[in-house]
Amino acid sequence: MFISKSKWLALFAALTMAAGSALAQDSGPLIDLLVKKGLVTDQEAEDLRVSLVKDFAANTSAGKLNLSSSLSEFKISGDMRMRYEYNSQTPELSTGAQQVANETSRQRFRFRFNTDLALQKGWTTGFGLETGQSSDSANQTFTSFADDYGVFVTKAYIGWQPNLNWAFVIGKQTNIMYSTDLRWDADIYPQGVSEKYKKFIGSKDTLEVRAMQHAMADNNEQIPSASGRDAWMFENQVVYTHWFEPENLSSLIIAAGYSAYNQSNVTAAPLNSAAFTGSVRAQDYASLAGEVNWANINGAGTAFKVYWDSSYNLTGATRAFKVYNLDPTLFNKGATAWLAGIGYSYGTGKTQGDYSAKFDYRSVGVSATDPNTNDSDWGFSKTNQKGLKLALGYNVTDFTKFNLTYFDTQIIQSGMTFSLGNLDRSHELLVDLVVSF
Amino acid sequence: MKKYLLLLAAFAAASSVQAQKLVIKGSDTLGAKLVPTLAEEYKATHPGVSFEIAAEGSTTGIAAIIDGTAQIGMSSRRAKPTEVSAAQAKGVNMKPTIVAFDGIGVIVNAGNPIKVLTKRQVEQIFAGDITDWSAVGGNPGPISLYTRNTSSGTYQDFKDLAMNKRDYASSSQKMAGNEQIAAEVGKNPSGIGYVGLAYLGADGIKTVSIDGSLPTKESVLAKKYPYARPTFYYTNGEPTGEAAKFVDFTLSDQGRAIVEKIGFVAPPK
Repeated sequence: MFISKSKWLALFAALTMAAGSALAQDSGPLIDLLVKKGLVTDQEAEDLRVSLVKDFAANTSAGKLNLSSSLSEFKISGDMRMRYEYNSQTPELSTGAQQVANETSRQRFRFRFNTDLALQKGWTTGFGLETGQSSDSANQTFTSFADDYGVFVTKAYIGWQPNLNWAFVIGKQTNIMYSTDLRWDADIYPQGVSEKYKKFIGSKDTLEVRAMQHAMADNNEQIPSASGRDAWMFENQVVYTHWFEPENLSSLIIAAGYSAYNQSNVTAAPLNSAAFTGSVRAQDYASLAGEVNWANINGAGTAFKVYWDSSYNLTGATRAFKVYNLDPTLFNKGATAWLAGIGYSYGTGKTQGDYSAKFDYRSVGVSATDPNTNDSDWGFSKTNQKGLKLALGYNVTDFTKFNLTYFDTQIIQSGMTFSLGNLDRSHELLVDLVVSF
Repeated sequence: MKKYLLLLAAFAAASSVQAQKLVIKGSDTLGAKLVPTLAEEYKATHPGVSFEIAAEGSTTGIAAIIDGTAQIGMSSRRAKPTEVSAAQAKGVNMKPTIVAFDGIGVIVNAGNPIKVLTKRQVEQIFAGDITDWSAVGGNPGPISLYTRNTSSGTYQDFKDLAMNKRDYASSSQKMAGNEQIAAEVGKNPSGIGYVGLAYLGADGIKTVSIDGSLPTKESVLAKKYPYARPTFYYTNGEPTGEAAKFVDFTLSDQGRAIVEKIGFVAPPK
């Protein structure tokens, strides 16, 4: 089809005006085409390129940014969440005392801001800022008289992915372990080193080996014995992901893992919910988690999932009776934790009208999980609890979500005076409005 | 008194003649052969003019224009947006003038049986995905990569034109100039590198066809050879004074003849 010279130039002018100065960044191919068509000379094209760049630099906000040439991607993301929370905790009291339900009603917010930079040769770096200083919660309660609140560094990492198979990260980073909140609170960003090896099987299946060396406490080396040794958690996991043909939309994930500590103590009390200070010994957890996803089960975009998680402390008896000092004649070692859940969703939670519902039931023995890493909401991070979690979500817009979460737990073994396992009953209702960017 | 004033005026006039020095910095591709030859011819008709030519890479030429330490910056690549905006911030108005076209030829040792490569193969070889000649139909053996150093415009242009902006393989050996690459490939039977059109005739090397196209005057001008590029003089705004005269000389018939003689392609009139 013949397009006259004037039409080509008119097209270029129209595109330039329509897209504004930002076009300068992408106009190279168009200018090349004009040269190839003989509509402008090479010299005119070069003058045009420089003019567009100058215009871009002078007249746009983006043009004033001077980013390193080693950057291949600069990503800013985060969210703001407004929350109403009601909870009730009924602790076990000594025999004869009147039981009290401690009720709390509060308004909270959470702000998260992430900057992730992809550099050349597979290097990455980034940082995250959050409200809330404890490791397992970024929530900040609106307190007295319009106080101002702090923001904390929640991520600071350097990553290197030399190829598609290997990935290494050092620093305070996103948790690479496949897990539910039975074992890992989603707000925790472990600090240390992580390694991931991914093997591709067939067209889409993968087998991954993940390992993490997580610095849990920095102790004073001048103190003799375990209290002067830094506490480290070592977690290793094998994750297999299978996609069901022919659509490759439904999937199965199975993750088996093992984690343990070195011989050391947590000497300074962490800020997290129901923190445990003391020896980290006898925490040798074997875990098995996974999920089966059925895609398009009730029309396009729908999905149904069954998921589970479990933890068994191989040295649970030692943990319960030697570290927690429970009476073995009165209490079971409580070395097992399990969770089973179902979920139904429409969409991925990123488009207006998407919705999701999840329900799970779990039982957490007193020594079955690490109280310093488990979820801060369910049973307020305490163990020796069984109960449910119900979560509903609805996308008001592509970027605004309304969430409703309810927890209900009750004690498994009664009569413990041990503070991590003495919650007789608890409820919690969370109503959230989240705007993501 | 009059005598002194006359002497002073004569000295000032002589000084101004002596001051006609053109400082030209930048690209090795242009500065190794072409611009010195142009300068010699120019001096023949402009005896009062001297040249200071430093060919240390395009980046240094563009930086020299921004810093005001040269009247002409030679560059075998376009100024980057960051360089244009840095110049703008200093009140420098980057003005490119195309002085010649160049084709970056991919060269191998003359004894290498490889005659043809695809663009994809070139990308894979220089990025390190392919490390043995047998993978592209050659004799088995490791590939030795020779590239320009990082201040070179050719280094950047080749990444843009041939490698989808990927990084060079970490095993690549970085050479100061085209001549060094041609010499190394000429000595090394497993070597591969790239040089400008003007250097394709070096001893011991041969040029590989890319997707069926060799770098020639015709294929470069018709923009059919995939690794063709313009080369530039950069000045602060429209050149003035002696710099303007030298730019005009470069673009004149006499200058264009030198461009062609050295092995570049003169831009269309």
